[in-house]
Amino acid sequence: MSFITTLIKRGRSRLREVARRQGRRARDFVDETESEALAVVTVVALSLVAALVGFLLVSALTVVPLATFVVATVYGWFRHQEVTARVLTLTTTVSTLLILGLIIVFIFLESIPIVRYESATVFGVTVPGLRLFVETRWDAVSDPVRFSMVPMIHGTVMVTLIATAVAAPLGVSAALFLSEIAPAPVREVVKPGVEILAGIPSIVYGFIGFTILSPWASDQFRLNGQGTYLFVGIVVGLMALPTVVSVAEDALSSVPESIKSGSLAVGTTDWQTMTSITLPAAFSGVSAAVLLGVGRAIGETMAATVMLKGVPRLTDPLYNVFYGQETLTSIIARNYGDADGLQMDALFIAGVILFVTVLFISIGSQYIEWRMRRQFGGDV
Amino acid sequence: MAGATRSTLANQETSGTDLAAAAAIGLSTILFVLSVASLAEQLSITGSISGVPTVTLLGGLLVLLGGTVASFGVSSRLGYVETNADHSAGLIAAVAAGIPWFLIGGGFASETLGLGAVAGLAVGVLIGGTAFAATAFPREDVGSTVPIGALSIVTGLVFLTSVLGPEWVWDLGWEQTASLTAEFVIPVLTLLNAMYAGWAAAKAYGGFGARGRHVGAYVLVYLNALSIVAFLFVLVAFTVVRGIPGLLTGAEFGWGVGPGTTVGVGGFGFTLSLPFSVPFVMNGVALMNDFQGVLPAIVGTIWLVVGAVLFAVPLGIGAAIFLTEYAEQGPFTQVVEIATNGLWSTPSIVFGLFGFAFLIPRFGNSKSLLAGMLTLGFMLLPLVLITSREAMISVPDEYRDASAALGVSKWQTIQSVVLPAALPGVVTGVILGVGRIAGETAPILLTMAGGTFVPGSQTADVIGGFEFIASPPFVTNPELLQATSALPYQLFALITAGVGLGENVANPEEFRWATALILLVVVLSFYAVGIATRYYFRRKLSYE
Amino acid sequence: MSEIEPTEQTQTKTDAGSAQPLQTTSGESEEQLHEEWIDYRFDGETKLAVETLDVHYGDDHALKDVSMEIPEKSVTALIGPSGCGKSTYLRCLNRMNDRIKSARVDGSVQLDGEEIYQDGVDLVELRKRVGMVFQSPNPFPKSIRENISYGPRKHGDIDTSLLARLSGRSDEEAEERLVKRSLKQAALWDEVNERLDDNALGLSGGQQQRLCIARALATDPEVLLMDEPASALDPIATSKIEELIHELSREYTVVIVTHNMQQAERISDQTAVFLTGGKLVEYGDTDQIFESPRSQRVEDYINGKFG
Repeated sequence: MSFITTLIKRGRSRLREVARRQGRRARDFVDETESEALAVVTVVALSLVAALVGFLLVSALTVVPLATFVVATVYGWFRHQEVTARVLTLTTTVSTLLILGLIIVFIFLESIPIVRYESATVFGVTVPGLRLFVETRWDAVSDPVRFSMVPMIHGTVMVTLIATAVAAPLGVSAALFLSEIAPAPVREVVKPGVEILAGIPSIVYGFIGFTILSPWASDQFRLNGQGTYLFVGIVVGLMALPTVVSVAEDALSSVPESIKSGSLAVGTTDWQTMTSITLPAAFSGVSAAVLLGVGRAIGETMAATVMLKGVPRLTDPLYNVFYGQETLTSIIARNYGDADGLQMDALFIAGVILFVTVLFISIGSQYIEWRMRRQFGGDV
Repeated sequence: MAGATRSTLANQETSGTDLAAAAAIGLSTILFVLSVASLAEQLSITGSISGVPTVTLLGGLLVLLGGTVASFGVSSRLGYVETNADHSAGLIAAVAAGIPWFLIGGGFASETLGLGAVAGLAVGVLIGGTAFAATAFPREDVGSTVPIGALSIVTGLVFLTSVLGPEWVWDLGWEQTASLTAEFVIPVLTLLNAMYAGWAAAKAYGGFGARGRHVGAYVLVYLNALSIVAFLFVLVAFTVVRGIPGLLTGAEFGWGVGPGTTVGVGGFGFTLSLPFSVPFVMNGVALMNDFQGVLPAIVGTIWLVVGAVLFAVPLGIGAAIFLTEYAEQGPFTQVVEIATNGLWSTPSIVFGLFGFAFLIPRFGNSKSLLAGMLTLGFMLLPLVLITSREAMISVPDEYRDASAALGVSKWQTIQSVVLPAALPGVVTGVILGVGRIAGETAPILLTMAGGTFVPGSQTADVIGGFEFIASPPFVTNPELLQATSALPYQLFALITAGVGLGENVANPEEFRWATALILLVVVLSFYAVGIATRYYFRRKLSYE
Repeated sequence: MSEIEPTEQTQTKTDAGSAQPLQTTSGESEEQLHEEWIDYRFDGETKLAVETLDVHYGDDHALKDVSMEIPEKSVTALIGPSGCGKSTYLRCLNRMNDRIKSARVDGSVQLDGEEIYQDGVDLVELRKRVGMVFQSPNPFPKSIRENISYGPRKHGDIDTSLLARLSGRSDEEAEERLVKRSLKQAALWDEVNERLDDNALGLSGGQQQRLCIARALATDPEVLLMDEPASALDPIATSKIEELIHELSREYTVVIVTHNMQQAERISDQTAVFLTGGKLVEYGDTDQIFESPRSQRVEDYINGKFG
C-alpha cells in the first residue's frame, strides 16, 4: 500500500511541477507578446471555443463565432504572423485530442441505456451491464428482448485468433525477408507489393471472399449455408499482414548494423545472425508489430460483414470454425439500418468494447516500443 | 583452380548426392504446385493426369520424395555422403516433426481404431514423442530427415492404398454439421508434406550444420515472400479479368462517340467530344439508359476524398508542426502521441458510430456527404499527423540551427526550412492515407450511404450547390447535406442486395465485378502515385 | 565518348605531375621505385597474400591495385590518412565488404595459399579463421558469458542447449574453460570474473572492446583483423589493448588499422602506408618505415606535414 501512496505522491508532485512550468511559460508568453497580438490571439481562441460550443449545442448561430474566428485569424496572419502561427498550430493539436475525447464521450453516452437495461443482480448487488456478458441470447424482436455481446465477442476472438495465426508468422517472416535477406532489386518489388496489399479496400477482399471463398468452403466442408470463421479469419489475417510487416521491418532495421556485422565476423551464417542477434534484439518491436496486427484484425469490418452469416449465436461446438456467425464489427455494419432505441444502443456498446480493446492494444504496443527504444539508448 | 587442390575454404564440386538433394527440392516444388492447383480447383482430385489417377500420382510422388529425403540422411550418417552435420537437429526441428506425428497417431487411434479421445491422446503423445526423440537425439543428418521423410512416405502410402481416396469423407459429427472431404484434405496434406520435405531437403542440400539450416530457412522465407507477391498478383489480375467485361459493356471508341461539351467561340458553337464512350463510368442508373453505370459513386468518392483532405491535412500538419517545433518534449507531447496512435488504430466502424452519433444530428438529422467527409477526415487525421511528424523529425537540427543563427524567426524558419525539407514525406504520407480512406466502407455506411443504384441526376455537384440565405447560418449547400453514394458503399450495397439486382441491370454479376474493379483502380492509383512520388523524391535527394 | 577520353587522360597526367612531385628521398622517380618500396621480403611464412586488389564503391575507386604479403605470427600495421582505403583493405581480408551492396572487389587474396575470392567459398569457414575487431565496441546485448561463447556455440563446438542437457552431452565445463581462457587472453578476466552473467552493455568502453577481442579469440582464429580498435578509448584502456596486441602476435597473425602513428610504431613488426587515393605507397619493417622511409610523401606524412 505504501508503495502506491508514494507513487501517487510522486506523480502528484511531478504534475505540480509540470503545471508550474507550463504556468511560467504561459506568463512568459504573455509578457513577451505585444498587446495587440495578444488581443487578436485571444479573440481567435475565444471565438473558436464559442464555435465549438455552438456546434455541440446544434445551434444555427455557430456560424457567427466561426466567422469571427476566420476574420481574426486572417487579420492576425497578416499583422502578427509569428504569434498567430503558433496559436493556430496549438489549436490543431488540441483539436486532435478533442476528436479522441469526443469519440469517447459520444460512444459511451449512447451506450448507457443498454448498460442499464442489461443489468443483472448477483448476490443482491445490481451490476449494470453484467447480462451483456453472462447470457448468450441476442434477440431484438421477440420478448424478452436481449442483447448479449457474448456471441459477437466469441466471433471476434475466433476471427482474431485465426487471423493472428496467419498474419504473425507470415508477417514476421516477410519482414525478415525485406529487412535482412532480400537483394535490393527484389526488395524494390516486394515492398511496394506489401503496401499495395494494405491498400486493397476491405470491401474488395470481402467481395472476393463472398463470391469465391464462401461458396467454395461451403462445398468443401459440406456446410449448411455460407460463412465460416475459418475463411473470414484467413482473409482478415491477410489484411492485417501488411501492418505486421511494415512495423516489424522498422524494428528489425533499427537493430544497429554494428552488432549484426559483429556476429557475422565470428563466422556465423546470416540465418544464425538473424535468429540469435537481430530477432532477439528487435523482439519488443516485433511483438508490438504483431499486437498492432491483432488490433487491425479485431477492427476489420467489411470483409467480416459480407462473409459471415449475420445470425448472432455461438457456434456449436465452440471451436467449430467452419461456421461464421457474427463479430462485434459486423453486427454494427449489418444492423445500423433497421436498428433504433435499445438495439441501436446495443450496437454502440459493441463499438465501446471494440474501441477500448483496440485502444489498450495500441497503448500496450507503444509501451513495448518505448521500452525497446530505451534499451538501445537511441532516440528514434 | 578449384578442382586442382582440395580446398578447405571452398567446396564447389557438385556431386551426384547433391543432385539427389536438389531433386528432392524440385520434387517438393512440383507437389506444392500440384496441391495449390488442386485447392484452386484447377486440378481435380477425382480425375487423372496423363492416365494416372491424381491421388495415386500424388501418393507415388510423396513416397518417392520421402524416400529420397530419408535415404539422403541415412547415407550421410553412414558416411557415403560428406556433410557437416551437427550433434542434433535442434529443438525447433524436433517440435516441428513431433506435431504432425502427434496428430497422425492421435487421429489414427481415436478415429480409425475408434479408441476414444483419451486413448487417442495417449497414442498421439507416444508417437509424437517418438518422432520428437527421433529428431532430437540422433545426429542431425538422420534427425532432420528420417522422421520427416517417414511422414511423407506414410502419407503417400495412405493415398496409394486408397485408405484416403477421392471419395473419403469424415463427418465431424458436430451440432452444426461439417465434414472434412478428400477434396480438401488430400491437397492440404500434400501441401504440408511438400513444405516439410522441401525444408528437410534444403537442409540436406546445404550439407546440414549451420549452412544447411541457413539454406533450409531461406527456402521457407523466400517461399513466403513469393507467395505474398503471387497472392497480390492473382488477386488484382482476377479482379481485372472478371471486371473488364462489365466495365466495357456498351463501350465505344471512335471520333465523336463520347459525351461532348459545346464551346462557343465568336458566335459559333463547336461541340468537342471525347473519342471514347464508356457508359459504366459515365452514366448513372436510369430507366431510359441503354447501359447503367456508377458515375454518381465515382463523383461521390472524389468529393469525399477532397472533403476529408481539406479537413485533415491542415489540422494534421499544423499539429505536427506544433509538436515538433514548438512544444517542449514532455508529458503533453507524450499524451498527444498516445492519443494519435490510439486514433490511428481505432476501428473504422467506431469512427462510423461516432459520426452517426455526433455529426448526423448536427447536419439536419440525415445522412449526408458532409458527414461522410468529416468522418473520413477524422480517420485521415492521425495518419497525416504521424507521417508529417516523422518527416519533420527527420529534418536535421543543423538546418534549423543554421537558419536561427542567421537571425530568422521561428515561424519563418519552419516555413522556409523545415516544411520544404519535410514536404516529400508529408506528400507521400497524405497520398497513401488518402488511398486508405478512399476504399473505406464502414464509416460512410453509417454517415453517408445513399441507395444501391443512384440515378445519374443525383451526381453531386458541390461547387454549384452553394446558396446564400438570409437567416443563420447564411450559407447552405444542399448538395453537401444530402446522401450520395461512393464506390465502396456501392459495392457493399450490390453484394447485400442479392437477388432483385437483375431488374436494374442486365448482368448483375458483371456489374458487381466492374464496380470492384473501378474501386480497385481508384484506390490503387492513389497508391501508385504515392509510391511513385516517394521514388521521385528519393531519386532527387540522392542525386543532389 | 571519344572526345572526352583524351581530356581525361591529360588531366590525370597533369594531376600526377603537378600535385604530387615524383620525388623520393634519394631523388629518383616514383614510378620506378614504387615496385621496390612495396617489395618487402620477410623471414617467416606468408599468411595472407594479396595481389592486385581493386575495390570500387559504386563509381568510387576506393582501393587501387594493392599487392602485399603478410607474414604469419606478427603484427602488421596499416596506416594512412582518413579515406585512404586502409579500412576497406582490412575488410577485404575476411570479406566483410560483401555486406556493402555497392562494393565490387577485383583481384586476389590468398589465405595460406587458398583463394578467398573464388566461387563457393564458405564465408563462415573463412571468418572462423579470420576474426575481426571493429572500430567501436559492438558487444551483443547478451551476458558476458554468452558474448564469449557465441561463436563456438554457433559453430556447434559448444552445446549447452536443453536438448544437449537432456541427452547428457552438455558442454558446460568446456564453456567455462573457454570463457576463462578468452577473457584472460584479452586481459579482462580479473575485472569481470565476478559478473559473467551481467549484460555486456553494462561494461565500460574499454572493457567492451576487450570483450570484443575476447569474443573474436574464442573462435580460435588464425588471423585477427583490428580496425582502429583503440580509437574510441581513453589512454589507459588504449595501453592495455596495445599490450594485449603485442601478446597476441605470438600465436596469431594480427593486422591492425590505425591512424595513430606512435601506436603503429610501438606495436607493429611491419607497417604498410596507404596514402590518399587508395594506393599502397610503402611497405616494410616498421623501424625502416619510421626511421628511413624511401618515399618522400611517406616521410612527409610520418613527420606530420599532411594527413
